[in-house]
Amino acid sequence: MELLLALIPLLPLCGGVLNACWGSRLSRPVQAIIASGAVLGSFLATLGCWSGAGTGVRTTLFTWLDSGGFSAQVGLLFDPLAAIMALMVTGVAGLIHLYAAGYMEEETDQARFFALLNLFVFAMLCIVLADNLLLMFLGWEGVGFCSYGLIGFWYQKTENAIAGRKAFIVTRIGDLFFTVGVLWLFARFGTIGIEAINGRAAELDPTTITIISLLLLGGACGKSAQLPLMTWLPDAMAGPTPVSALIHAATMVTAGVYLLCRMFPLVSLSPLAMGVVAIIGALTAFYAATCALTQREIKRVLAYSTMSQIGYMFLAVGVGSVSAAMFHLLTHAFFKALLFMGAGCLINLAGHENDIFLMGGMRQRSPAVFWLFLAGIFCLAGAPLTGGFFSKDLILASAFARGDFFHLALYGIGILTAGITALYSFRLAYLVFAGDYRGEELPHDLPRLMIWTLPLLALFGLGGGLLNLPHLFGGHDWLSAWLGRESDILELPVAQEYLLLGIAVGVFLLGWLLAHLRYYRFAEGESTRISRFLLAGWRFDAFYDLLLIRPFRWLCRFCWQGGDLGLIDGLVEGFAKTSFELGHITRFLADGRISRYLQGFAWGLLLIVGWFLLLAVR
Amino acid sequence: MATIVFYILGAIAIVATLLSITRNNPVHAVIYLVNSLFALALLFYLLGAPLVAAWEVIIYAGAIMVLFLFIIMMLELAPGKKADRFGPGWAQWLPILLLAVALGACTLLLTGLDSAGAEGVPRWYATPRDFGYTLFKEYALAVEIVSFQLLFAAVGAFYVGKPERKKRARGGV
Amino acid sequence: MIVPLGHVLILSTILFFLGLVCVLARRNLIMILIGVEIMLNAVGLALVGASSFWQQLDGQVFVIFLMAMTSAEVSISLAMVVYLQRRKGTVDVRAFDEMRG
Repeated sequence: MELLLALIPLLPLCGGVLNACWGSRLSRPVQAIIASGAVLGSFLATLGCWSGAGTGVRTTLFTWLDSGGFSAQVGLLFDPLAAIMALMVTGVAGLIHLYAAGYMEEETDQARFFALLNLFVFAMLCIVLADNLLLMFLGWEGVGFCSYGLIGFWYQKTENAIAGRKAFIVTRIGDLFFTVGVLWLFARFGTIGIEAINGRAAELDPTTITIISLLLLGGACGKSAQLPLMTWLPDAMAGPTPVSALIHAATMVTAGVYLLCRMFPLVSLSPLAMGVVAIIGALTAFYAATCALTQREIKRVLAYSTMSQIGYMFLAVGVGSVSAAMFHLLTHAFFKALLFMGAGCLINLAGHENDIFLMGGMRQRSPAVFWLFLAGIFCLAGAPLTGGFFSKDLILASAFARGDFFHLALYGIGILTAGITALYSFRLAYLVFAGDYRGEELPHDLPRLMIWTLPLLALFGLGGGLLNLPHLFGGHDWLSAWLGRESDILELPVAQEYLLLGIAVGVFLLGWLLAHLRYYRFAEGESTRISRFLLAGWRFDAFYDLLLIRPFRWLCRFCWQGGDLGLIDGLVEGFAKTSFELGHITRFLADGRISRYLQGFAWGLLLIVGWFLLLAVR
Repeated sequence: MATIVFYILGAIAIVATLLSITRNNPVHAVIYLVNSLFALALLFYLLGAPLVAAWEVIIYAGAIMVLFLFIIMMLELAPGKKADRFGPGWAQWLPILLLAVALGACTLLLTGLDSAGAEGVPRWYATPRDFGYTLFKEYALAVEIVSFQLLFAAVGAFYVGKPERKKRARGGV
Repeated sequence: MIVPLGHVLILSTILFFLGLVCVLARRNLIMILIGVEIMLNAVGLALVGASSFWQQLDGQVFVIFLMAMTSAEVSISLAMVVYLQRRKGTVDVRAFDEMRG
C-alpha cells in the first residue's frame, strides 16, 4: 500500500516529465494518452489506498534535506482528509485531461500544455499528501509556477503573459506570509511535520498562535484569491478553459482552504484568527458576488463566482466547521469544473466569443450543453436538494448555530450573498441560453470529447448532497464521520432547521425570480456608475496600482537612473575621466624641455633636504 | 685679520658669481667666473690648503675656463640677438628663485642646527709634503683611476668632436 | 680661529644655489655648463673648509680628485656641445626636445 501511496504523486510527475522532454516527438494522441493515463492511474492508486485511510497510511520516500538540527523528509501522509481531497483532485483532473484532449485539438504546442498540466497535478498532490510543511510548500510553489505557465500559455499575446505574471506575483505575496509562518513554527517546535505540530499546538502561547495562524491565513488568501490578494483571479481567465476548470475551480484555489483545514488544530486555538478567517470569507463572498452581477465575459462571471464560493469555505473554517468547508469544497469542485467546461463548450459554439451579451439562444444550438450547464447553475445557485444546496446550507447553519451577534451577522451576509449568487447565476443562464442569438457567428462544431466528460460531473454535482446528508433528510453525515469531526454535526431544534431551510429556499427563488424578470427578455441597458464600479471589481486593481505599483515603479526608476546610471556609471566614468584629466594636467612634465627636467632634479633635492631638516628638527 | 679677509673674499665670490650668471654674453660670464675662482683660490689658501689653491688657479681658471673660452669663440655664439636674451622671462625666473631660496633656507637651517658648526675653523697649514704623503699613500688607487678617467675622457672628447665626413663628391672612376 | 665652520658652509651653500639657478634658468647650453662648474666649486669650498676644521687632509685630496674629474667632464661635455651645435645649428636648449612625450 505504501507503494500505491507513492505512486499517487509520482505518476503525474513522470507523465509531465515525459511530455516535457519528448512530447513534441510523440504524436498528438499519444501525448494526451500519457497525460490522462498518468492522472487516471493516480486516481486508481488513490482508490487502492482507500482502505488504509482510516488509520492513515504513511510512507517516506527519501530524506530531502539534512543539515544542522533541521531535517526534512519527502514523506506522504494519507489520512481521511488527504484521502478525500486526493480522490477529488485526481478524479476531476482526470476528467479535465480528457476534456482538454478535445479542447486543444487545434493547438500546436500540446506537449507543453499537457506537461504543465501533469506537473500541476503532481504539485497539487504534494500539497495534499505532504506530511510536513516543507513538502507542502514545495507543492505550493509548484502549483503557483504551473499556474503561471498555464495562464500565460498563449504567451504570444502580451496580456496573457501579463495575467500569468500577475497571478504569480500576487500569490507570491501570500507565499511570503506562509513562509514566515512555517519558519516560525520550525523555530518553536524544531520540526515541521504536520501531525507533530498539530499535536503539540497547545504548547504555544496565545499570541504566537494567533500570529502564526494569521500568517498561514495570508498564504491561504493568496492562493485562494480572497481579499486582499484576490485581484489575480479574474485576469487569470486568459488561460485556456481546461486550465480555468482545473486550477481555478477545483484545485489550486482550494489549496488555501485545504491548508487551513490541515492546520485546523493549530488555527482553531485562536478565536481571533478564526474570526478573521470568517470575516475575510464572508466579505470576499459578498464582494465577489456583487462583481459577478455585472461581468460580460462568461469566464469572468465564473471566476468571481469561484472567489465567492471559496469565501463560503473560509467562512465555514472560521466558524469552526471543517466538514462544512470540505463538503462545500467537494461539491463546488464538481459543479464549478462542470460550469467551466461547459463555458468552454459554449465559447467554442459561439465561435470563440466570450461576451455573454453577444450570446443567447444557445439552447437551440446545443441542447446537451444546455442541460448540463443548467445542472451546474442549479448547484451554484443552491437549488433545493442539489449538492450545492446542502453544502451551503451546512455552512450557514453552522454560523447560525453559534448564536452570538458576530456569527448571526456573518449568517446575514451569507444569506444575502446566496441571494445574489442565485441572481447572477440565473442572469448568466438567461443571457446565454434564452431568447435569440444576438451574435453574428454561425454554429461551430464541438469536439465529442468535450461534451462526453460533462455528464459525470453533473451527476456528482447534483448528487453531491449524499456525501454529508443531514439527519433531517435521513442521512448519516458520512463526511463528518469520515473526517473524524463529529463535533461539526449540528444538533439544532427541528423548527430552527426548517426555518433555515425555508430561508435558503426562499432566497433562491427570489434570486431566480428577479433574474427572470430582468433578463428573460434581454435588452441591453446603459451602464450606470454602479455597474461600472462593479464591473471593475470595485476598482481594486486601480487602487493597488496607485498604492503599490506606482511607488514601486518610481523606486525602480530611481534605482535605475539615479543609482545605476548616476551613481555607479558615474563612478566608473568618473574614474576614467579623472585619470584622463590627471594625465592631461601632468603632461607638461614630459614636454621635452630640458630645463624642466633639471628643475625636477632640484625639486627632488628639495624634498630630500627637507626630509633631513624634519629629522633634524625632531 | 683673517676673519675679515675671509668675509671680503666671500663677498667678492658671491658678487662675481651673481654677475656671471646674469650675463648675456657667455664670454663675459666666463670672465666673471674666473674672477670668482680667484677669490675662491684665495679662500682655499686662507683655509690652509695652499696646494689646492694653486691647483684651483692652474687647472680650473687656467685650463677649464680657457677651454670654455675656446669653445665659445669657436662656435661663434653671437650675443645680443633677440632670441638669445638671457633668462626665460620673469615668469620662469620666479619659481626657480623661490626653489633656490627654499633649498638654501633648508640647508642653512640644517647646518645651523648642528652644534659643530659654531666652532671655529682653526688656523693651520697643509704642507705639500703631508699632502703628497696622503695622496700617494692612502689614495694611490684613486689617483690611478683618475688618470684612467682622464685618458678615456680625452679619447671620448676626440671621438665626439670629430668633424663630420663630407660626403664624397660623386666622382666616377 | 678664522671663522665658525657654519659660515664657511653658508658661503658654500650660497654659491651652490647660485650655480643651481644658473643651471635651471639659462637657455644657453654653455651657461648651463658654467652653472655646473659653479656648483662644483662651491662643493670644493665646503670640502676644504671641513678638512681644515678637522685638521685632516682627506677633504683637500678629494678636492683634487674633484678638479681632475671636472676637467675630464668638461672636455667631454664641451665636445658634445660642439657636436650638437653642428647638428642643430644652435645651442639653445629648447631646440633639443626629442625627449618630448
